[in-house]
Amino acid sequence: MTGPSPGGPGPSPGGPGPSPGDPAPSPAGSPAPSGPPAVPDDIASWHRLHPLSPLVRAGRHLVGIGIFVLLLLVANQRQSGNDLVVNLVIIGLVLGAGVVSWLVTRWQVADGVLRIETGLVRRESRRFPLSQVQAIDVVQTGLARVLGLAELRLRMAGADSSGGRLACLPLADAEQLRQRLLSMTHAPGVASAPAAPRDAAGGQPGPSVAGPERPLFRVRSERLVGAVALSRTGAYAGVVIAALVVAIVLIGRPGVTASLLPVVIGVVLAVWRQFNGEFGTVVSAAPDGLRLRSGLVQTTAETIRPGRVQAVRLVEPLVWRALGWCRLEVDVAGPRQRRENRSEAQRLRALIPVGSRADAEQMLGELLTEAPRPTRRAPANARWKAPLAYHFLAWAGDDRYVVTSRGRVCRTTTWVPLEKVQSIRWVQGPVQRLLGLASVRLDVAGRRVTASITDRDAAEAQQLLARLPDLARAAREGSGAARGGEGSSAAPGAVNRA
Amino acid sequence: MSVAEPDTTAEPGDAGIRWQRPSPLLLRARRIQAGLVTVPVALAGGLIAGAAGSPALGLGVGLALVAAGLLWERFLARRVAAWGYAERRDDLMVRRGVLIRRQSVVPYGRMQFIDVTAGPVERSLGLATLRLHTAAAASDARIPGLDRAQAARLRDQLAVLGEAQAAGL
Repeated sequence: MTGPSPGGPGPSPGGPGPSPGDPAPSPAGSPAPSGPPAVPDDIASWHRLHPLSPLVRAGRHLVGIGIFVLLLLVANQRQSGNDLVVNLVIIGLVLGAGVVSWLVTRWQVADGVLRIETGLVRRESRRFPLSQVQAIDVVQTGLARVLGLAELRLRMAGADSSGGRLACLPLADAEQLRQRLLSMTHAPGVASAPAAPRDAAGGQPGPSVAGPERPLFRVRSERLVGAVALSRTGAYAGVVIAALVVAIVLIGRPGVTASLLPVVIGVVLAVWRQFNGEFGTVVSAAPDGLRLRSGLVQTTAETIRPGRVQAVRLVEPLVWRALGWCRLEVDVAGPRQRRENRSEAQRLRALIPVGSRADAEQMLGELLTEAPRPTRRAPANARWKAPLAYHFLAWAGDDRYVVTSRGRVCRTTTWVPLEKVQSIRWVQGPVQRLLGLASVRLDVAGRRVTASITDRDAAEAQQLLARLPDLARAAREGSGAARGGEGSSAAPGAVNRA
Repeated sequence: MSVAEPDTTAEPGDAGIRWQRPSPLLLRARRIQAGLVTVPVALAGGLIAGAAGSPALGLGVGLALVAAGLLWERFLARRVAAWGYAERRDDLMVRRGVLIRRQSVVPYGRMQFIDVTAGPVERSLGLATLRLHTAAAASDARIPGLDRAQAARLRDQLAVLGEAQAAGL
């Protein structure tokens, strides 16, 4: 598969190059119970995770259980001793299971493949070919941050697989390992020419792996507070809390209000999650893509590689528009994380949680070369079908991107690279048929974003349906040929057809 | 809702496309399915109404439900007739729908996998449904009512084409 061994910086004892893809990994890479955890210099041998990682991984449950215990203590103060014992046993079991899982988990990087072995009863060995890695995130939960640990998450191309997790490593090691892995993801397959040799040469750890970064955007905290307050989540929270206050004032019975408490907690949590996730967002440009860091308690660092962006979305809610604010999101190919951070997965990654139009323009320029503007307005007929949205209904396209904009209250502008288009749909509802309109939708990977060229003249839509597949194919072939950095310098000769 | 033409000659830009149709047995399959839903629902509705109100009411409700099923059947023919697919050079085109008409274009290179499924009714008539999956959850290209042999042929052919033109994400 990946023929050339990754430009192994440092001593790689596994002898990865010529050795046949041996089907027996466990005897080959001797278990090597390395005393100090995770020395990232020779990543080709087996490593354990950090010994404190079970504590961190159990942390979430511990907090929940702690709250539960407290609630029980408060609720019935008599028999609490019994419950306490039960809960302590539960905590002990969780921790014990964590320790066992730590003992049996180990990882290794060899032949351009990250291998994670885990499981006590049911051994599981997972391979993550680095050439297919879409992104690697460094995530720090609150507890991990206190302990100086971090979790490494690999996002693979598949739609469903949960991707690889290394939880947890010391923060410095995690950062370093991420750099190493990222440089390996470049080396075999995609070969972004300028980055690979530099990383390969940078054998010595430390400053050389970080690479020069050019800061692009930093969210202003006070503006984020305002933005969250003025967002939909904030509005819900306001309504709920107002309702609660009214209920307390009018009814005044603590029992009734207490029953509303879960709702309030949920709303507050939602607000908190949004704030926490987007606090201190910093975006900077690095040789291998855009670096994105964010988080107040739980911090996340990820790199968005330019070729992996499936769609870019500019969102301007009504209230924000008045203030000149907007939000810029990107959709990156990757799995939808299922259980953990569901709420995070439902939203796109916000490069600019809230910023000015100028910020957004600059970031757009960084993400897309010569992004077109939605200039082609919808035909006048569309006014009857979409009286409100008509104002913003528009699209435009050249031979690399299609941009659409829609929505009256919450104006949404979506850019989709033609080379990323997965399928194209033409849709005509009954009202549209009466008015001689039709819509064309461009789907990109994932569930979340569809660029919808809404309510066009039927003839134009039909023409689009005929032309777009060819344009998309040309874009794919063009990018396939000139993959690498910012090549594919096809002159943006606007192929806008009449 | 002027849903005028029930037949294949559809949109203006169709000139160069040779639409292929599902098997004529699909209509029968859909009718059977509609019957399998309508009869029990009508029976149950009639019995419940008969038990709760008068027998006449039960009869009325039952008949009304049967009438609704027959009305549904009227639409089936159009909906079945609206299905069509075209194997083009670089992509597969599927169209469907009467009230809301849709055409999907799925490039061969974007297909991730292909399903062939057959429910009990379809199986008894020797039919199968082909479903294409891309990395986008929103793209919904499927072709119902294919002859089983034809479905297998199409599946293999699409797989080969997909492999030849496969493109990364």
